[in-house]
Amino acid sequence: MSSPMWSGMRGIAVVPSYVIMQPTTLCNLDCAYCYLPLRADDRRMPVAVAEAVAGSVNTWAAQSPRFSVVWHGGEPTSVGRGRLERLMAPFDGVEHHIQTNATLIDDAWCEYFAEHEVRVGVSVDGPARLAERRVLRSGALAYDRILGGIAALRRHGIPFAALCVVSDPRPGLAAELYEFFLDLGCYALGINVEEREGVNARGTGFPGGAMRTFWAELTAAWRADPRIELREIEWALRYAGAALAGTDDQLLPRQLDPIPAIGQDGRVVLLSPELAGFDDPRYGDFSSGNVLDRPLHEIVAHAAQTSQGWIGEYLAGVEACRASCRYFGFCGGAHASNRYFEHGRFDGTETDHCRNSKICLLEGVLEYARGH
Amino acid sequence: MPEATEPIVERVRAAGPGLVAMLAEAERTWRSRADGGDRTAGWRPFEDAFPTFYQFTNRPR
Repeated sequence: MSSPMWSGMRGIAVVPSYVIMQPTTLCNLDCAYCYLPLRADDRRMPVAVAEAVAGSVNTWAAQSPRFSVVWHGGEPTSVGRGRLERLMAPFDGVEHHIQTNATLIDDAWCEYFAEHEVRVGVSVDGPARLAERRVLRSGALAYDRILGGIAALRRHGIPFAALCVVSDPRPGLAAELYEFFLDLGCYALGINVEEREGVNARGTGFPGGAMRTFWAELTAAWRADPRIELREIEWALRYAGAALAGTDDQLLPRQLDPIPAIGQDGRVVLLSPELAGFDDPRYGDFSSGNVLDRPLHEIVAHAAQTSQGWIGEYLAGVEACRASCRYFGFCGGAHASNRYFEHGRFDGTETDHCRNSKICLLEGVLEYARGH
Repeated sequence: MPEATEPIVERVRAAGPGLVAMLAEAERTWRSRADGGDRTAGWRPFEDAFPTFYQFTNRPR
């Protein structure tokens, strides 16, 4: 491959389109594939951190048609409604999202979501026999409690998206999985093929043939009943349509979104929230600053403009992807956390995640199309 | 067309009429969602459902 010309993903934007907030490190589950290092500890975000973040976010939100604040964990509902309400209170003009395992959701939580117009994403891995790695701290399956929470959402008419971790992608799985989510009643679905990152060291070098077949079969299932917005398949179709129209180079953002993730203690990690909570002799704690010391917009702008430390190495990695990978226009470059946790540094290129969730995805969709 | 994109474009074109038909169906699906007026549907599904779209292309489109 020579002289790459893809024009998107050059440098880091100084204004994000959303921020990720960690109200607590604690998760009441202990899923086998989880990357979070401190999920057994309940370290909670002080309201002062939320107030500091809101000081920048409210300005960004006022200048944008939409701006999202994503409450992510740990398990955000584990802090309780009162605490979450106090953390949300400083924000103005934003969309609040919550990513939850749903095990604690009851009627009162549903009333809270409705009152505060919180958009809900539920993490659920499919039918019980496919959800054996999503467990309570006792080791018992979390499945029944997850479905209990989802039943509450449905009783209250609260729309929800679903994120599904697939730990064993293989032929014959996709149709069963998609059927489950059709019955579950979610309006959108994202498939996260398990990743080797954080404290999850399990290998994810799944066979390419099985991976492609999984995506091809998921394409078939979606085509037969496209009621659910299916993130991966629909994105691949958008890309394929743009490629046919000759507009595929315009699909990627012009710049990388900085995606500030604010840890419970106020530390800001850009680009890959999965890096929060880790330390490395070469890269330190991966943070670009703390909102209790400096305004978030200054932290983001300084990091984007100076690209010091691991961020500069990561940008070199993005350019290496641009120069070497023909899937760059579809993908935008391997993610920072996948590079780090798979390669030990940020300027490598293709990862297991690239192969599983980008390359095999696009090839699987095309494989299905060729046969139909 | 950028040189580095050509192999993928060729692969997409090679998917032929099967892909064209599927894209036409997808376009109808996307239009019908948008026409439904549901706040959870439409041509911005990923922004609505997954602001954490960094897992894919780093940012919602």
